[in-house]
Amino acid sequence: MNGIVKKVRKCTTHVVLFYSILTACCITSILFVSYNYSFYDRPIAKVIQTTLEDTTKMADMHNNEDHLFTQRIVAIMQNGPEKGQRIHITNKYSSSGAYDQEYRIGNELFVSINPITTNTTNLTGIIIEVKRDKYVLFIAWTFIFALLIIGRKKGLFSILSFAINVLLLSFALDLYVNHFPSSLLLITSVCILLFTAISLLLVSGFNKKTYAAIVATLIGTFTSLAVAYFVIWVTSGNGLRYEEMQFLTRPYHSVFMAGLFIGSLGAIMDVAITISSSLFALYERNPHISHKALRASGMDIGKDIMGTITSILFFAYISGSIPMLILYLKNASPLGFAFSMNLSLEVARALAGGIGIVLTIPIALHTTLFFIKRKQAGL
Amino acid sequence: MNVIVVLATVLFISMTLIGGKKGVRSFISLFLNFGVLFFMLFFMMDPAVNPIVITFIASTLVGCIGLFFINKVNSKTVIAFISTMIVIGFLLFFIVFISEKLMIQGFGEEETEAIAGLSLYIGVDFMKIGASVIIISTIGAIMDVAISIASSMHEIFKHNPLISKKELVASGLSVGRDILGSDTNTLFFAFFGGYLALLLWFKDLSYSIGEIVNSKVFSSEMLLILCAGIGIALVIPIATWINAYYLIKTKERSEEL
Repeated sequence: MNGIVKKVRKCTTHVVLFYSILTACCITSILFVSYNYSFYDRPIAKVIQTTLEDTTKMADMHNNEDHLFTQRIVAIMQNGPEKGQRIHITNKYSSSGAYDQEYRIGNELFVSINPITTNTTNLTGIIIEVKRDKYVLFIAWTFIFALLIIGRKKGLFSILSFAINVLLLSFALDLYVNHFPSSLLLITSVCILLFTAISLLLVSGFNKKTYAAIVATLIGTFTSLAVAYFVIWVTSGNGLRYEEMQFLTRPYHSVFMAGLFIGSLGAIMDVAITISSSLFALYERNPHISHKALRASGMDIGKDIMGTITSILFFAYISGSIPMLILYLKNASPLGFAFSMNLSLEVARALAGGIGIVLTIPIALHTTLFFIKRKQAGL
Repeated sequence: MNVIVVLATVLFISMTLIGGKKGVRSFISLFLNFGVLFFMLFFMMDPAVNPIVITFIASTLVGCIGLFFINKVNSKTVIAFISTMIVIGFLLFFIVFISEKLMIQGFGEEETEAIAGLSLYIGVDFMKIGASVIIISTIGAIMDVAISIASSMHEIFKHNPLISKKELVASGLSVGRDILGSDTNTLFFAFFGGYLALLLWFKDLSYSIGEIVNSKVFSSEMLLILCAGIGIALVIPIATWINAYYLIKTKERSEEL
């Protein structure tokens, strides 16, 4: 009894220690980004005064009505040789704010100082970007605390796996950009292996059901990629509008395939681990359960999760194109054109991911059965 | 032949073969969801309506399709629906608050090529549309967690009706934690895959860390990923409490009779 009490107390002191360190990290990092102006090369200014100078109502060529505003901003330089001086900026913005922005007192902005005025007391300049690091950090901490407080150990593991996977991906892309510019798909395949192993081992530990899930995920991912590749090859890519693919610096086809590959991985892992862990649980509860019964309940579980996981992927992909679609449609683009330009790649990705999810159900079922059979033979 | 049509056919065939009737229903629900998004888009184009309200209505419809159409109306799906809507309402407030601070509405510097030649003064509020994008992208996962918790708590309660409220809450939370990891994983990889091109862009144009963190595209992407995680985490205690409250209440009521 005494031992248990001690254990509990030890455990809670660990937890308390952990949270205090975390809170300390949180506070220091937020303090740091609030005063990190000197770490930036680009000049930063903080808005102290804004005056609305002019308001015009306007309509564009498609009869969309909007309001245009002009504001005069006075800001104080926060870094560089001009630190402490005032800078005057004129900003134009619209009420829709698609590519512009109203600034308010307290906003911190990256500015470019007009070189003619640099040595005078009357600085003028233009706004380049908003300083967003403070808020990005704030959300990141909210995320970390929400996951830790609610998810405890599982939350910690999913934060860890997220962080490790991001670092891994960034490292792999570095390799690709700097050393192997011709083999994005190969590098992604290696990444897939590592992502799967790391995420699944972190989620469910070193045991047979994890190994079964890893094998099933890999087979499922490569099968779905093969299906997608085959379909695109047979139809010679008809209907996919790569023109609107954004941020392209590389051959679009391989970037699209690699994105598809990584994008469906999480969902496929989800299916694989759900099926393998529930089959193993059934087997452990009753080691003499027949393969037929296992197969039947595996299929039932698969049917249950199939719909929800496909819709998770579907929403995650489609929603991102909403702003661009609205912009197109408001610019009087024909409906079919706007949809095929902005949605074709996303829908193809969602469908290919869905195929991967569905195909993984029998794959995971048979892989798990294979592992269970081996375990039974070993008994 | 069109890639999308072929892929959709392959998906339909495999869902039917593997999922039977339920597979067909899942496929139809994908179509219905697409229809809801389609209507949402049209209402959002009217500057007179608030995109947030439209999003809330669309979420309700999506919730009805995902929960009531696939699983029928019963106490499990009703509770899952209520908890999903509570979380979405809460997330909407959080997102609107934070995206006003972040100023991430509309399009970033990196997207100028795509919006070149289009009129940007179209009168709709892009800040609110941005918030709606985040909600829509996580609603699938939030619903998934809510329904899983509801059905396993009902199951536990059915097998063990004498269970105390405290134990019931503990079991609900533990089910939720199990799904938390896999659902956040699903979304993380979906977003990574979608933004692979953006990451390559940052690498190729050798952005500094400061430039990446402060850029509009990156910070809106981070907001999307992290809010998805926060939403999934939040629905766990909310769904658990509502389920426990409901189950214990119905038991007490049946004992009184």
